[in-house]
Amino acid sequence: MSEAVQLIACRDLVIGWNGHALLPAFDLTLRRGRFVAVIGRNGSGKTTWFKTILGQATPVSGRIVRSPSLNHIAYVPQTDAFDRLLPLTASDVVLQGRLHCNNFLRPFSSRADRRACREALECAGAAELGDEVFRDLSKGQRQRVMLARMLATETELALLDEPTAAMDVIAERQAVQRLIELCRQHDIAVVCVSHALNVAEKFADDILLFDRARGEVVFDKREAVLAHAAYQRLVRGDEGDA
Amino acid sequence: MPDQAPPSWEDFIAAWDLFRDPMICGLVAGGALGFLSVYVFLRRMVFVSAAVTQCAGLGVALAFYAEIQLAIHIEPIFGAAVLALAATLVLLIDAQRLNMTREGFLGIIFALAGGASVLVGDRIAQEAHDIQSILFGTAVLVRPFDLNVIAITATLLLALHLWWFRGLTFASFDTVAARAQGLPVSALQMFVLISIGALVGVSTRALGALPVFAMSTLPAMAALLFGCRLRWAFAVAALFGAASGFCGYALAFFLELPVGATQTAVAGAFVALGLCAHAGRRLSVRLRAS
Repeated sequence: MSEAVQLIACRDLVIGWNGHALLPAFDLTLRRGRFVAVIGRNGSGKTTWFKTILGQATPVSGRIVRSPSLNHIAYVPQTDAFDRLLPLTASDVVLQGRLHCNNFLRPFSSRADRRACREALECAGAAELGDEVFRDLSKGQRQRVMLARMLATETELALLDEPTAAMDVIAERQAVQRLIELCRQHDIAVVCVSHALNVAEKFADDILLFDRARGEVVFDKREAVLAHAAYQRLVRGDEGDA
Repeated sequence: MPDQAPPSWEDFIAAWDLFRDPMICGLVAGGALGFLSVYVFLRRMVFVSAAVTQCAGLGVALAFYAEIQLAIHIEPIFGAAVLALAATLVLLIDAQRLNMTREGFLGIIFALAGGASVLVGDRIAQEAHDIQSILFGTAVLVRPFDLNVIAITATLLLALHLWWFRGLTFASFDTVAARAQGLPVSALQMFVLISIGALVGVSTRALGALPVFAMSTLPAMAALLFGCRLRWAFAVAALFGAASGFCGYALAFFLELPVGATQTAVAGAFVALGLCAHAGRRLSVRLRAS
């Protein structure tokens, strides 16, 4: 793990809103090629941490150090988060992944962009969906297209917000397996917020656990977190102050 | 008294010099407003358009007031543009910081601007007809100066929108991902709002608040009901907007109807056609499935 390239390091980071801390300060480092599951109860700080990493929320204190090589981050929202009115094709959605910083000043997608879009769709198992309207696809198909967009960004770090929410168990397993394959093949750090503890238990390399009730943040390899008392409390559904 | 014959095609050709500028104005402003209507509709900003249009109307009324009561000459088109842009800037304020919502801001702007227009209109009774024409778009004539301002503004904005199209659509419709990928989302969103404010502002003096509001909302609805994909939705909405402005004027001439209301009705007719097309598509899908 230590040889893997560091992408983002949280140093004495305190997350929260309007200056109010949600959790005590914590340190962690995200590295390439790792699949990190972020777990915790509702309101525990998962989304706030996500937003802090994405620059949408300001840290209460501490800092986030980004590797100079990390130009941009791929963000994969929940498949239901996409506006149902938007008449974008799957290819349009994937091509959005090619936009970063100021390259939108080039009015048309380049040939390389279109090739990368095709390759990403193929890689994510969505080659046949390119011309379909995104909103008309099934949940699983939309999820594959979103993964294709993630690949098309050619980023080293992808943040996924409950990508398997509302999927049945089989679809969830297939989606996570595909995600892990892509993570390994492309040497991407994938950080995935999930309420499904089985995803963390079976597939994650590392687990980040937020326990706001007890004021604890645990980040370690999967086995270590699974053995941690905070995880046991989460599985049992114990209240923090019990 | 014998009935007067309705205007003929020959009458229209004979009066073309009179109608040319307002029709071109309807075409250009309608096309540009139609293009922007896709952002207005898909970003649920219909009431933004209503409030900004109302402010533009107030700007024109204030320009008249300044001329008549204070002897200060302000071009009404600039009065409209300034107030429309001011309203746009107010909408850029983070409403939550003031413990409000954007809808709250919109309500305040709409109500105050509408009330103020009537109050200002009351103080300049001799221009009441002009105020009426601003609010409902019954103006028949467009000054070359107004047409030039509209043409320059529309061309400039459309050129920038086409150039930055990929970034503007990404930042508008998937804000979080666009920000994560390093796009200047706030600047791009601000540009869209300012474009709407500027175009609504300069168009309101020439066309009237009612048709401007209609052309900045209805063409997108129609284009999306026709099942257009995003890029085509922008093009088709621009076409519908231009047709509403141009054909609405011609129709008003032949049917002897108020111009603004007819332009609005034409834009509404495109929505009705879109609804028919949408219903037809759904029916054919059901028939195929059965």
